[in-house]
Amino acid sequence: MDDHPLPSTASSARRTGYVLGATTLLFFGLGALFLGDLWGHPPARQQIALVDKSFLETTPWRQNYNDLVRAKEDLSDFDCYGCHDKKKPPVLRFDANNILVVPEEHKNIVMGHGTHNRNNLCYNCHNESNLETLQIRDGHEVKFSESSQLCGSCHGPTIRDWEAGAHGRTSGYWDRSKGDMRRLYCANCHNPHAPRIPTRVPAPGPHALRTPAHPDSHSETTP
Amino acid sequence: MPLPATPPPAAPNGSALDRRSFLRSTAAFAGLSALAASLAPLRELKDYTTPEQFLQKYYKELTPEEMKKVLERISNEVEHQYGIRPHVRDLKPMDGVEFVYALNLTRCIGCRKCVHACVAENNQSRSPEIQYIRVLKMPHGSMDVEKGNHLYDDKEVPDKGFFYMPVQCQQCKNPPCVKVCPVNATWQEKDGITVIDYDWCIGCRYCEAACPYWARRFNFTKPEIPADRINPEMSYLGNRPRKQGVMEKCHFCIQRTRVGKYPACLEVCPVGARKFGNILDPESEISYILRTKRIFIQLKEKMGTIPRFCYYFDK
Repeated sequence: MDDHPLPSTASSARRTGYVLGATTLLFFGLGALFLGDLWGHPPARQQIALVDKSFLETTPWRQNYNDLVRAKEDLSDFDCYGCHDKKKPPVLRFDANNILVVPEEHKNIVMGHGTHNRNNLCYNCHNESNLETLQIRDGHEVKFSESSQLCGSCHGPTIRDWEAGAHGRTSGYWDRSKGDMRRLYCANCHNPHAPRIPTRVPAPGPHALRTPAHPDSHSETTP
Repeated sequence: MPLPATPPPAAPNGSALDRRSFLRSTAAFAGLSALAASLAPLRELKDYTTPEQFLQKYYKELTPEEMKKVLERISNEVEHQYGIRPHVRDLKPMDGVEFVYALNLTRCIGCRKCVHACVAENNQSRSPEIQYIRVLKMPHGSMDVEKGNHLYDDKEVPDKGFFYMPVQCQQCKNPPCVKVCPVNATWQEKDGITVIDYDWCIGCRYCEAACPYWARRFNFTKPEIPADRINPEMSYLGNRPRKQGVMEKCHFCIQRTRVGKYPACLEVCPVGARKFGNILDPESEISYILRTKRIFIQLKEKMGTIPRFCYYFDK
């Protein structure tokens, strides 16, 4: 196979030497670059603060009557006849615009059930002949522990959805054969006196990976 | 071919090297050390593939015994990295179950709690952030996601004149991401969840490009998770920690839903806007919603992806 006259062994060895020497120099150069950090490191990524653990809470933001009983909390708010007289139903007062005046003793109550003050009467839900119960408009008495029934007497489609599991929070098991679905009651989320869910502080949004977020550059950021 | 140079006979008794072989070995040593120095960047390589992982078979070909070994390896890796012994399982789809998710746009207030509950449940990287759910703030009167902004920074939500639309993996019945994967590292299981084998993914990001919902996330760097925020309840196709260079996405919390529980985003939702269940069970709340509610079934329906994630309205 080696029919061609080869260059003399001496010059071939010299060429190999040159190549090896140049490669060695190249490697040394690269080594010096890497070990000496001649390029420098890219700027460190901005550390993103961990999200506040309160945003991970799954507990409901309100306790209903049953929760208070279970937790053996102070139930004095439900002891109406500690102050009121059993024989005399309290008299409601209205201002010049026909808006209910919440008495001083109950000033923690904000009336906000329904728009335009249309639901402006305590006895729409409370039972005036027994203040420790509630009353549906058809005259049925409802205990505080079963207040969802009262809500459902007006909010029919909502209670129907709730019974089917489609309204309100659920937790636990979707597969009922493996465990229970826990569900909440109306008053766990809604304040009966002002049922609209209040606004809240949102959890922080996504942080851009490379550049600080610019108000109108959200299409350029990385998720 | 003659030898380039016959080495000169070694010095008698090996008492002294001759000049030529000394120079030659010095040069060879210098060359090798230069080579070693030039490989310095390898020192920063930490997240390399172990031989067991490299030789691991395809997920669908693993026998139960082999899967046991794989889970053991993953447990060891997690314990080595985070100091926590996880409970890693390989959960299979249940019979007669197909998952569907429904989200109530009337109720969602845009608080982003679902985003962070998902991150905590599924061991996503905290820095840089990887989040499966994006909550779009959309002006009333339009369902055009192009008008949505997911970087809203309001003091209080919900903002007047806007509604909020969380978008995550839609678990399509006709998933474009699965079609483009060149190595079959992602596929649809019979309960409707499209899963990813993080040990099989080559990180080409084709699926990310194919997804019309921007649901897939890529680990550009090594994920950073503080050890005290690791969720030790893990599954192979679900929330076990990922490595740099692989894709991940929402998998309906496989480690929860395949044992009958609700996903984490649903349980944390403060307004009960998220509903989940088995569409094959007519008694489930998801079947009730699909029967009775006004439903916006398919986000970007022109794509023909047939999502298993739907949006609905109360009013």
